[in-house]
Amino acid sequence: MSEKKMIYLQPIPVRIWHWVNACGIVTLIVSGAQIRFPETLSILGSYRNAIQIHNVAGLTVAISFSLWFFYYKMVKNTLDKLYIPNEDDLKRGILRQLLFYCFWYFLGRPSPFHATPDEKFNPMQKSAYLAVMFVLMPLVGLTGILLMNVTPLRVLILAWGGIKFIVALHFLLASSLLAFLCTHVYLATLGATPLAYFKPMVFGWEEVPEHHDHHERDTAKGSATPSGYRPVRHYPEYRGLHTE
Amino acid sequence: MKRERNQLLIRLLMPLLLVAGASVCTAGQEGGSGFSFGDAAARNEACLSCHGEAAKVKPALVIERAQYGHTTHANIGCPTCHGTVAQSHPPAKTQRADCRECHADVGQEYAASIHAGKTKCAGCHNPHKVKAPVEISGEEINKMCSGCHNGLEMTAKHSEWLPQADLHLRMLPCITCHTGSKDYFISMYIVKGKNGSRFGRQELASYQELKKLAGDKDIVSLLDTNGDNYVSLEELRNFNKDSSHRFLRLQGMMTPEKVTHNFEILTNRRNCTFCHASGSARMQTSYISLPAENGTFKRVPVERGAVLDALYGTPDFYMMGSTKNGTLNILGLAVVCGGLIMPIGHGSLRFLTRKNRTGKEHES
Repeated sequence: MSEKKMIYLQPIPVRIWHWVNACGIVTLIVSGAQIRFPETLSILGSYRNAIQIHNVAGLTVAISFSLWFFYYKMVKNTLDKLYIPNEDDLKRGILRQLLFYCFWYFLGRPSPFHATPDEKFNPMQKSAYLAVMFVLMPLVGLTGILLMNVTPLRVLILAWGGIKFIVALHFLLASSLLAFLCTHVYLATLGATPLAYFKPMVFGWEEVPEHHDHHERDTAKGSATPSGYRPVRHYPEYRGLHTE
Repeated sequence: MKRERNQLLIRLLMPLLLVAGASVCTAGQEGGSGFSFGDAAARNEACLSCHGEAAKVKPALVIERAQYGHTTHANIGCPTCHGTVAQSHPPAKTQRADCRECHADVGQEYAASIHAGKTKCAGCHNPHKVKAPVEISGEEINKMCSGCHNGLEMTAKHSEWLPQADLHLRMLPCITCHTGSKDYFISMYIVKGKNGSRFGRQELASYQELKKLAGDKDIVSLLDTNGDNYVSLEELRNFNKDSSHRFLRLQGMMTPEKVTHNFEILTNRRNCTFCHASGSARMQTSYISLPAENGTFKRVPVERGAVLDALYGTPDFYMMGSTKNGTLNILGLAVVCGGLIMPIGHGSLRFLTRKNRTGKEHES
C-alpha cells in the first residue's frame, strides 16, 4: 500500500533561519532568566554579560525574523498559504489533529497529516505558528527593542502605558515562547521515529510513505500539487472526519 | 545656729540659681532674643534691606529672601559668617567665614575625596540657598554636578561600560553611585510633559502647577486622598490611573539615604547586581517628593514595596531584576508549566501506550 519516498521539505534558507532562531531564542531565554532573577541565576557570568548577550541575541532573532518574513512573503510568496489556516483547517482540521494527539496517537493510529513543501504544517501547527510568528514574536521583539532603548524611545514607552506594562508584557510573552518551545520540541519527537521530524530540519529531506489510493483523487480534481507531495489527509482511519 | 540658718538659705536659693543659670545658657545657645547676640531675624533684616533688593546691589550679591530664610544659615544670622560690618561697607568688603569652621567633619571627608582641590564648597553650594538633602530633588543635585561635568561627555564616558548610560545618568542622582551610602530609597517626583504635552520632554511639575490642580487643598491631596500624610499603594494606583491628570507622571530615582561628601569611584557600583538584584530592602522604601512653595521639596512616605507592584503602582519606574512583581512571576511560571503539559502529560501516556504503536511506526 505504501512505499518510502524522499521529499525535499526544508530548503537551506529555512533551515539556517530555523536554527539561528532556535539558538537565539534559547540564548534569550537563558539570559532573560538571569536578567529577571539575578539573585538565583548567574549562568552567563556577570549581569552585564547577560544583558549584552540578551541584546545581541535579541537583535539576531529580530533580524532573522525580518528575513524570514521577507523570504516567505516576497521571495516565495507562500507565507499566507503556509501560515493562515483555511476553512477546512478551522472547521475540521484542528479538531482532527487534536483528536489525533489526544486519543488516536495512543491507540496507534497514524497522523492524519503529512508535510509537503507546499503544505508544511498541520492545522494545529498552522494555528500555533500563526499566533507565535504573527503575535508573540513581533510583540516580544518590539517590547524588547523598546526596553533596549528606554531613553531614545521614551515617547513610545509612555504611549504604550509605561515601562512596567512593557516589562510585564515582554516577560509574559517570553514565558509563552518558552512554553511554546517545550511543546514544539516535544511534538517534533512524535514522528515515525523520535528523530524523524528533526532530520528534515537538519538535512532538508524527509522520508515519507506514498499513498497511491488517495493520490488518484487529488489528480482527478486537478490539484497542482506534484505527484506524491499531497498531504496524507485522508487515511481510511480518518475518512469519517473528512469532507470530500 | 547662725550656720544652720545660712545653710537653709543656701538650700532655698540653690534651685533659683540653677534655673537662672540654665536660662542664661539656653539663651546663649540659641543666640536667642534679648541676649547680647541680638535677634537673628532683625540682624539679617539690616543686611537684607540692601541685599534683598535687586535694585540696590549687583546681581551676584542679591540674596533671595524666601530661599535664604529657609536655610539653617538664616538662623545663625549674617554676622556669624560675615563678621561685623564696618562703617565703610560698602565699598569695604565683609569677611567670609571658612565653611569648615562649622562643617569640619564635611571638610575632612571632602579633602579625602577625588574632588579635593578641584573646587571649594561654594563651587557646588550657595550658602544662601542651601537645603537639607531631603528637601532637594535629584535633578537639582545633578545640576550641581553638571556645572563642571558636561552631560554628553559623562554619558559617553559611562557608556564605555554601563548599558543604557543615558538612562542611568538621567534617572539617578550622580551621588547614588559616587558616594558610599549604605541605604537607598526610591524618591518619586511628579513630572509633566513640557507645555502640558503628554509625551513632551519631561520636567518637574512646579508647586504652582500642582496647586492649581489641587485647588483649595494642599498639593499632597493629589496623591494622599485620605489626608493621613501617607500614600498607600491604593492611593498610588488611583493617582496613576486617574485620567484627569494624565500628563502628570511619577518619576522614580534611587537616592542615597545618607548624603556624604566622599565623592569617589566605587568599583562595586560597576557590578550591576549592586542595584539590580531583588530581595534588597532598599528597593522597598519609597517617598513622594513634592515641591513646596519655598522651592524646597517635602517628602511623603509611601507604602512599603509600592515600587514592586505589577502595573499601576509605579508605571514608569522599573529596575531590572530588583523591582519585579511576585504575582507576575507566578503567572509566568504558570504559562511555562502550561507548556510542559505536552512533554510531561502526553509523554507519560505515550510511554504507557507504547505497545499500541509497536511495528506501526513506519506506516504512519
